[in-house]
Amino acid sequence: MTPQATVYVIDDDPGMRAAFESLLRSVGHAVRAFSTTEAFRTAARPDSPACLILDVRLPGASGLEFQAELARLGVEMPVVFVSAHADVPMSVTAMKAGALEFLTKPVRDQDLLDAVHRGLGVDRDRRAARAEQEGLIRRAADLTPREREVVGLVAGGLPNKAIAARLELSEVTVKVHRAQAMKKLKAASLPDLVRIADSLGITRKP
Amino acid sequence: MTAGMDATRDDGLLITSMPPRPAQVRLAVGVVACLAAALAAAWPFAQVPFPAAAPLLPAYAALILITDLITAVLLFGLFAIERSRAILALATGYLFVAVLVVPWLLTFPGALDAGMTEATAWIGATRRLGFPLFVLAYATIRDAEPAFPNPPVPAARVVAATGLATLALAGLVVAAALANPALLPRLMQDDTRITPAWTTVASLAMALYAVDLVLLWQRRRSLLDTWMIVVICTLVIELLLLSFLSAGRLSLGWWAGRLCGLASASVILLVLLSETTTLYVRLARATIAERRARAERLTAVEAFSAAIAHEVNQPLASMVTNADAALRWLDRPRPDLAEAKGALERIVADGHRASQLVASIRAMFRSGVQARVPLDVGTLVADVLRCQQGEARLGHVSVRADLPPDLPLVVVEPIQIGQVVANLVANAIDAMAGITDRARIVFVRCQRLDASVVVSVADSGPGLGPGDRERMFEPFFTTKESGMGMGLAFCRTVVEAHGGRIWAAANAPTGAVFAFALPVEAAR
Repeated sequence: MTPQATVYVIDDDPGMRAAFESLLRSVGHAVRAFSTTEAFRTAARPDSPACLILDVRLPGASGLEFQAELARLGVEMPVVFVSAHADVPMSVTAMKAGALEFLTKPVRDQDLLDAVHRGLGVDRDRRAARAEQEGLIRRAADLTPREREVVGLVAGGLPNKAIAARLELSEVTVKVHRAQAMKKLKAASLPDLVRIADSLGITRKP
Repeated sequence: MTAGMDATRDDGLLITSMPPRPAQVRLAVGVVACLAAALAAAWPFAQVPFPAAAPLLPAYAALILITDLITAVLLFGLFAIERSRAILALATGYLFVAVLVVPWLLTFPGALDAGMTEATAWIGATRRLGFPLFVLAYATIRDAEPAFPNPPVPAARVVAATGLATLALAGLVVAAALANPALLPRLMQDDTRITPAWTTVASLAMALYAVDLVLLWQRRRSLLDTWMIVVICTLVIELLLLSFLSAGRLSLGWWAGRLCGLASASVILLVLLSETTTLYVRLARATIAERRARAERLTAVEAFSAAIAHEVNQPLASMVTNADAALRWLDRPRPDLAEAKGALERIVADGHRASQLVASIRAMFRSGVQARVPLDVGTLVADVLRCQQGEARLGHVSVRADLPPDLPLVVVEPIQIGQVVANLVANAIDAMAGITDRARIVFVRCQRLDASVVVSVADSGPGLGPGDRERMFEPFFTTKESGMGMGLAFCRTVVEAHGGRIWAAANAPTGAVFAFALPVEAAR
C-alpha cells in the first residue's frame, strides 16, 4: 500500500497558486501550495512520493537558488520549474541542477500534468529503490562474518571447492554457510545472490 | 533678434560668446605685464642703432604675413558660423594688415634696393591707422548684431566680396603711396629717421588705440574681447618703441618694437587655435557622454518593457491555467460545478487585473493627450472602487469610503486620476496581504481642504518602512517582489501634472495613509 502522493506548489502570485492548485486537484492530485520557499521549508511534509512545482521568480531566494538549497538539505524531490520569462541559460542551469522539466507561463496544462506525473513516478521509483536497498542492508546485517565472506567469494565467481580451499574449510561447511546466507538475504537463486552481493558491495574478485 | 541672440548667447562655447575664465584673464594680464617689462628693459638701449639685423627683415615680414593671414582666415571661418558683422570687420582688419605687409617689405630701403622710403612709411602708416579703425568697427558693431537676417547671404559670398574689397583698398593705398610721394607730407627725413609728420601719425594711432581700449574695456564680455585688449596693449607698446623711444628704423628700440608687433599679431591666432582645440575636445566629450546617456536610456527602456511584459504575463498565465482547470473539473464523469465556478471567478479577477495594468501603462504613456474636464472626484473614486471590488474580495479586504456628495469640482484627466486612485487602493490591498491578526480595511475618503480636494487612502497594513518614505515615489523603487516600482512614480507624475501634490503618512494605530490634493479651479 503506497501512501498518498503530494504535489507541492511554490508561487508568490495568489491567482497563479490557486490556478495550479485547482488544475492539479481536478485530476486527483493532493496539492499543497505555498507563497514562499520559507513556508515550504518549515511546513511538515509527510514521507510520501512528491513533486515540486517551483516558480523561478520568487520573493527572497529565487527558485533556482532554492533548488540548490534543497539539494544541500537532502530533499530529493523532483522539481518542475515554471517561469514567466524563461531564457535559455536559466533553463540550462535548472536542468543541469537536476530539474525534471522547465515550463514557461502560460503553461500548457497537459505539459504540466505530464511533468508532474513523471515526477511522481520518478520519486516513487526512487523511494522503492531506496526501500529495497534499506531492506537489503538490514538483512545483510544478520550475516555472520564468515557467511559474508562466503557470499562475497561466490559472487566473485569461485566454485564451492575453491572457496573451501581458500578459507581452509570443508566444502560441506561452505555449502551450509552459503545456504544460510541465501536464506537470510532472501536470495532465490545464484544470480539473485550475485546481484544482492553487488548492490551491497561485498563481492570479492579472486 | 531671436536667432542672433541665440547664436551669440547660445551655450557660451565659442570664443566670441564664452566669458573669459579667471585663469585666462590672469594669463592676459601676465602677457601685457611681460611686454611692459620688456619695454622697460629695452628703453635704455632703444637709441642704439642695430642695422646688422636688416637681413632679418624679410623673415619678419613673412612671419607677420602668415600669422595675420591665418588669423584672418580663422576669423572669417568664425564669421561664417556666427554671421556677426563685428567678426567680419575684425577679420577684414587682419586681412588688410596682412596684405599690406608685402608692399611694405618690397619698398623697404635696401630690400629691393629701390629706395622708396616714403612709400614704405606711408604704407606702414596706413597699416598702423587702419587696424585700430577695424578694431573700432569690431567694438562698435558688436551691439548691432545680428547681421544678415533671413534669408542669409551665403557666407562664402560675403567673405569673397569682403576679401576682394580689402585687396582693392590695399592696392589703392599702395598706388597712392607710390604714385607721387611729393604730394604727401614727408614722413621720413632719410632712410631711417622720422619727421614730425610721422610723429603726428603715431600720435593719431595712439589716440585710436586709446579709443579701442576704452570701447573694448566697456564691452568686454567674451574671451575674444579680453585678448583684443591684449593685442591693442602690445600695439601701444610696439608703437611706443618704434616711434617715440627708438632712434628711427633699424635701431634696437625699433627692432624691439617689431618683435612686440609679432607678438601682437600672434596673440589672437594662438588664442583661436587653443580655444578651437579645447572646444573640439569638449565637443568630443559631450558627444561621448550623449552616446552613453542614450545607451543608458535604452537599457532602462529594455528593463521597463521586460517588467511590463512580466507583469502582463502573470495574469494571463493565471487565466490560462484556471481555464484549463475549469475544463477539467467539467470534464469529470461527475462535473464539479463549484470548483469550475471558482476557477472561472479567478479568471474574471485576473482579467480585471490585466486590464487595469494595461490601463495604467497606457495612462503612463499618454500624459497630456486626454482632455481635462471638470469632475466630481467622489464619483470618480466610487467608480474606481466598484472596479476593484473583486480584487478586494480576493484579498479579504473590506473597502470603506467616505465620499461627500457636495465636493467642489476639480479639472482633471479622468483616466489618469482614476488610475492614481486605483494604484493607491491596489497598493493598500497588497500591503495587507500578510495581516492575520486584525481586520483588513481600506478607508478611502474625499474631503475639501482650503482650495483643494484631498483624496486619502488609508490601510491597516504594516505601515511604511523608514527607508521607503524617501524613495517610494521614485521610478523602479518597489517593496513588492513582483512589482515594477512604477505605480507611485506614475501617481506623483500625474498628480503634479495636475498642479497637486501627493504624500504618505503613518495611519493610527497601524498602517499607512497615501493622500493627494488637487487644486479646485477658481470659481468661474
